[in-house]
Amino acid sequence: MHTWGFETLGTAWQVDTATPLGEASRERVRERVEQYDRDWSRFRTDGPVAELARHGRAALADEADDLLGVYTTLHRLTDGAMNPLVGGSLERLGYDPAYSLQPSGEPVAAPSWDAATWTPPVLEAPPATVLDVGAAGKGHLVDLVTDLLLADGVDVVTVDGSGDLRHVAGEPLRVALEHPDDSSLAVGVIELDPGRALCASATNRRAWGDGLHHVLDARTGTPTRDVAATWVVAERALAADALATALFLAPADRLAEAFDFSALVITADGRAAVHGDLTGELFS
Amino acid sequence: MKLTRLPQAAAGAAAVSLMLLTAACGSDDSSSEASSEATSASPSAEATQDATDAAPDTGATGAYKAGDYDAEGSYQTPGGTQSVEVEVTLEADGTITAVEVDPQAEGGNSEMFQKKFAGGISEVVVGKKIDELDVSKVAGSSLTSGGFNAAIEDITGQAQA
Repeated sequence: MHTWGFETLGTAWQVDTATPLGEASRERVRERVEQYDRDWSRFRTDGPVAELARHGRAALADEADDLLGVYTTLHRLTDGAMNPLVGGSLERLGYDPAYSLQPSGEPVAAPSWDAATWTPPVLEAPPATVLDVGAAGKGHLVDLVTDLLLADGVDVVTVDGSGDLRHVAGEPLRVALEHPDDSSLAVGVIELDPGRALCASATNRRAWGDGLHHVLDARTGTPTRDVAATWVVAERALAADALATALFLAPADRLAEAFDFSALVITADGRAAVHGDLTGELFS
Repeated sequence: MKLTRLPQAAAGAAAVSLMLLTAACGSDDSSSEASSEATSASPSAEATQDATDAAPDTGATGAYKAGDYDAEGSYQTPGGTQSVEVEVTLEADGTITAVEVDPQAEGGNSEMFQKKFAGGISEVVVGKKIDELDVSKVAGSSLTSGGFNAAIEDITGQAQA
């Protein structure tokens, strides 16, 4: 097996292939990742996200329908707690482009997703609305990179976007599940079969103050409290990543009404709950 | 932790029932002998983390009084104090023949997770050194970008200044 690791947008990626990955494919992957950042980052002033905030409407990238479709379903299943318009709520708490990491006032609820209008490729929302697809964007990008490589005829084994990954072919992949309180420890190991994706979410690292972290209940604009970490196995990384966040906001049984997935949830008091079938071991 | 005894439970059994709650809770640190024994007798039992702290250094041996015991344990979450009611049926030889867990939390995710716990699914996790595991990947929160980490370090520095 051959491994290509690269840094992009501040995180480390790794692509494992059966035969060495050519430079042309590497370049296409780099370009795809950077394009996704231009299309979706709320930290950029030159893209559709900034345009939406300024004008209340913007034309989004081709892949928007898949991404917003998942958000729309999860918005319904979480009774509005998950909402891609939560960017302003994050900024209020200090998670802004300048990384001020200082709240600028009381938490604010996100604008209603039901009030937004999605007429592909145009999204319309109230002025000053800040789109934030952070809950699913990384997984989505893992899928897009995987699909790009497969279309190139590459014999992909695994695509790993800093822990959100698609295992495409080969032997089952053994993945350690990082302990939410200590990154040198694992709470278990999942054996990920080929054809499956694994995504994780935790509030410990991207936290910047007293109870302040990046997973918010969009209805109130406040950080969630009951869940410490989640891992989701699904067919595609887009769904797995989005569900990993949704599990902070709704029970697995509810989300299973629309998604086929398995999950491990660690609550803030250190308990594990398993949904569906996971192969591996949990240390308890 | 609050302990209450059902009317039919015998006098003098309070210490026993406290120990049983610890056992029924399957504390992650089975430091007391009695706790370990009772845990093996109650495979469906689960833990509250506070149980370990609240349990006395029990030297209870033999002389179990058969009956039903009822205990309420509480534990702290960032969402506030949550409680779990545990009912156990104890045989004279100390064997636990029935454990019932009744979730007390109302609303929010805690209710859901306590229900799962009541269903016997949930377990308290412990950590193992990742270095010592045979794994190819790690999945967790480490996808945080460099910019965020730098900003956090900056703030930490300010706080210490």
